[in-house]
Amino acid sequence: MKPFDIVIVGGGGAGLYAAMEAMKTNPALNIAVLSKVYPNRSHTSAAQGGANAALGNKAKDDTVEMHIFDTIKGSDYLADQDAVDVLCSEAPKIIRELENMGTPWSRMEDNTIAQRPFGGAGRPRCCYCSDKTGHTILQTLYEQCLKKGVIFFNEYFALNLSVSGSRSNGLIAMNMKSGKVEAFPAKTVIFATGGYAKMYWNRSSNAAGNTGDGQAIAYRAGIPLKDMEFVQFHPTGLRKSGLLVTEGARGEGGYLLNKDGERFMSRYAPEKMELGPRDLVSRSLETEILQGRGFDSPAGKYLHLDLTHLGADLIKSRLPQIREMSMNFEGIDPIEEPIPVRPTAHYSMGGIDTDNQTRTVMGGVYAAGECGCVSVHGANRLGGNSLLDILVFGRIAGHTAAEEAGKFSPGTISEAELAEQFEEIRGGMHTSGRYERYGELREELGQTLALNVGIFRESSLLQKGIADIAELKERFKKVRISDASDVFNTNLMQVLELKNMLDLAETVAAGASVRQESRGSHTRIDFPVRDDANWHKHTLATLVNGKVTLGEKPVTMGRYELQERTY
Amino acid sequence: MTVPTDQHKEGKKDVTFRVFRFNPQVDSKPYFDDYTIPVERGVTVLRSLNYIKEHIDGSVSFRAFCQAGICGSCGMRVNGLSQLACTTQVWDVLAKSREPGIIKVEPLRNLPLIKDLIVDMDPLVDKMKHYSNWVDSTMPEAQMGKKEFLISEEEFLRYDKATDCILCASCVSECSILRANREYVSPAVLLKSYRMNVDSRDAIHEQRLAELVKDHGVWDCTHCYRCQESCVKSIPIMDAIHGIREDAIESRGMKDTSGSKHAEAFMSDIEKKGKLIEATLPIRTNGVVWTLQNLLPMAMKMIMKRRTPPPPPLVKSAKGIKIFRKMFREMTEHVKQDHKSHKK
Ligand SMILES: Cc1cc2nc3c(=O)[nH]c(=O)nc-3n(C[C@H](O)[C@H](O)[C@H](O)COP(=O)(O)OP(=O)(O)OC[C@H]3O[C@@H](n4cnc5c(N)ncnc54)[C@H](O)[C@@H]3O)c2cc1C
Ligand code: SF4
Ligand code: SF4
Ligand code: FES
Repeated sequence: MKPFDIVIVGGGGAGLYAAMEAMKTNPALNIAVLSKVYPNRSHTSAAQGGANAALGNKAKDDTVEMHIFDTIKGSDYLADQDAVDVLCSEAPKIIRELENMGTPWSRMEDNTIAQRPFGGAGRPRCCYCSDKTGHTILQTLYEQCLKKGVIFFNEYFALNLSVSGSRSNGLIAMNMKSGKVEAFPAKTVIFATGGYAKMYWNRSSNAAGNTGDGQAIAYRAGIPLKDMEFVQFHPTGLRKSGLLVTEGARGEGGYLLNKDGERFMSRYAPEKMELGPRDLVSRSLETEILQGRGFDSPAGKYLHLDLTHLGADLIKSRLPQIREMSMNFEGIDPIEEPIPVRPTAHYSMGGIDTDNQTRTVMGGVYAAGECGCVSVHGANRLGGNSLLDILVFGRIAGHTAAEEAGKFSPGTISEAELAEQFEEIRGGMHTSGRYERYGELREELGQTLALNVGIFRESSLLQKGIADIAELKERFKKVRISDASDVFNTNLMQVLELKNMLDLAETVAAGASVRQESRGSHTRIDFPVRDDANWHKHTLATLVNGKVTLGEKPVTMGRYELQERTY
Repeated sequence: MTVPTDQHKEGKKDVTFRVFRFNPQVDSKPYFDDYTIPVERGVTVLRSLNYIKEHIDGSVSFRAFCQAGICGSCGMRVNGLSQLACTTQVWDVLAKSREPGIIKVEPLRNLPLIKDLIVDMDPLVDKMKHYSNWVDSTMPEAQMGKKEFLISEEEFLRYDKATDCILCASCVSECSILRANREYVSPAVLLKSYRMNVDSRDAIHEQRLAELVKDHGVWDCTHCYRCQESCVKSIPIMDAIHGIREDAIESRGMKDTSGSKHAEAFMSDIEKKGKLIEATLPIRTNGVVWTLQNLLPMAMKMIMKRRTPPPPPLVKSAKGIKIFRKMFREMTEHVKQDHKSHKK
């Protein structure tokens, strides 16, 4: 294949914005977007809430500065303040840009873009389109990319970077339709493959494919991952699937009840009750379960989100989505029965370490969106800041790669290397001596992570988690692929995704065990307070001789001094 | 993941999933495989397929991603009806199943088959490109990001529902015209085209419309309603189709009779292809009644409107409406005849 100037891996919000911006920056460039699903299927479509920007449409006195402060405080002071500056100052412009291109934002009475309040924000600055914000943003970007004639390689699964020394030659990917392993020699590669929270499997709100492929590929190529231990949990996931029941249910007056029928939030947040901050509510649910006040079921322990007292009319008119979800995925009508819920892994703060221009340490390799870590979210992301992140840094990635592509020469990817990759992924198809079931391994990975590397962490738990992951990696060597077909082998794809999750799980557990403090989403029972003297820094996980090796990186400070985070 | 069992509640039922199989590498033609598994209340078709894939046969192939009804990946036919596997309850389907205890799962129709339950979506994407399914903004790129367009709630509501579309292609699979003519624009693409056309930020409304009234375009639709009835997001697709037609007549006028010409050509198509009628009969009746009630008065309205200056050449409009009338007479006749032959 003819070498590309830019290969973008991922067709979610970050990847599509990067593609659009790169074409705008230099229309002469040869750009390709690879995605394992059709771009419009990407997980960006699942974001309902909205995207933050200090437009001041709703609260006239809102400012970019206030947005910056809220973000830094929300991050528990682990965000890099110069990066947050970029995020928040670019916000109004990028939201308007989307508007100018056709995103159907909901509107205020004066016909400007509508905004609503969101957790952790001092002003109502979350821009939304009904409850389908991510979906409409993704549609707009996909439409605009089609308009610009972006070249898409849909249903291509990225396998690895081809690396010579410290240089990337480009990307190696599998064409799902043919099963062929193909080379994408390129001057620059942008990773935009989304998050890794699906490693918690059915304790995750994420799509099946949020398996951290880009992070795993970068990691295997020797690029450091940053702050991997920070995974955000949302308090109310459905028991069976982990799918999200949005905050709206509690906002309308839903109760959280334990098996004794007690509104247990009175113990943890007597004033705010069910409406306390996300991490606090998650920890409260988890505590109830750990202390034996949860319900039991074959699908695991859970609590009740009770809406029955709100009445059929209110539920039907204000919470139709939530009702539909619990009927579809739990078989329960919340008008008649409480919804079974428990906390669910929702967002990955950690990711590929980049600078503010999205550059990684490897020349010509960039990362943006949930798979990158600039870092703007630090130890805890604010609702509505992630869509913003993927737009702002997606655009920066596209621009930077387009400007810098000329500096790099495209590498060559040899036939031998392709053949080797092909052999490697096909190994699992030789059935002799292979008996491990990927579904089982994946399930066990999710369980050990939820139990030992979950909301509450502690030295001995983490050691157990690390040992479990190592054992699972060993068993993975015997995993069996039972589909022998070249054509659209989803079985093979799931196994490759599991491999990526196993590699990354190791870095999450390692980071969690080394960070001896509690900060943001990372709660250590044995180190319950934030320790700025020793731990006000990022962790870096690098693969050295097949082993995860931890390093650190200072946090960039700015106008805001460290403060205690109270709400 | 196993399909969990809350036995204390309602117990479970043994369900046979009759799955369409085809691997182009080895199979000369498709066949069905039966998988029987216990399923409890609250389990979706997708979760059942996942269970089958993980525990019985890893080679069963289908697409799924969000598992929450938002990404549009898992469109397939369940007991003959195109829908999302991830939001379809097994017990609900069973209750309506013609063969007790059996659920038939097949790929979407009207798109090329790749393997098992997976079809090729590229033709749909190509049509989105062909019909410029994007807002081509009136604002030059260099100006973007500086200020907002002011959009009224009224305008927002015009396309709000249409932007719910997740491109799952269920409507495409159910469309009666597509079965006869794969080049037909497709309901989802008509919906998106309409959504763009009513957006005041868009600059290429005329150009898009010009494309939509050509061969295989909006005039080929028979108003059979199947798309709307099968839409997984309950989008009133017919409003969009109706809207485009109304718009075409209004802004392009009867002077450009391409619309009615196409309608005519289409009628002769139907005459030639009896099978088309057969496939669409049950809902077609609906369509015609609807058409007579809605489209005819609408066309009249258009003509009345045109009385106001500048007056269009009356004779041409009258000719237009004649053709319309003729078309509807013909369609009604066809349906009547078909009803008769069906009853025999
Ligand atoms: C239920 C839910 C609700 C949310 N709500 C909000 C909200 O209200 N506000 C907010 O700001 N954020 C929200 N978020 C977070 C936000 O949606 C995500 O962080 C964001 O959309 C990620 O975008 P992305 O472009 O980085 O990645 P994604 O949209 O996940 O896209 C990743 C892309 O990479 C591709 N890809 C991955 N691996 C490979 C591979 N191996 N080969 C080829 N391609 C690959 C995929 O096909 C996909 O196209 C929510 C998240 C969830 C789970
Ligand atoms: S009304 Fe019938 S013919 Fe027209 S687009 Fe819908 S399904 Fe197709
Ligand atoms: S219109 Fe409805 S059925 Fe058709 S693709 Fe869109 S969401 Fe699916
Ligand atoms: S898996 Fe996304 S809609 Fe069904």
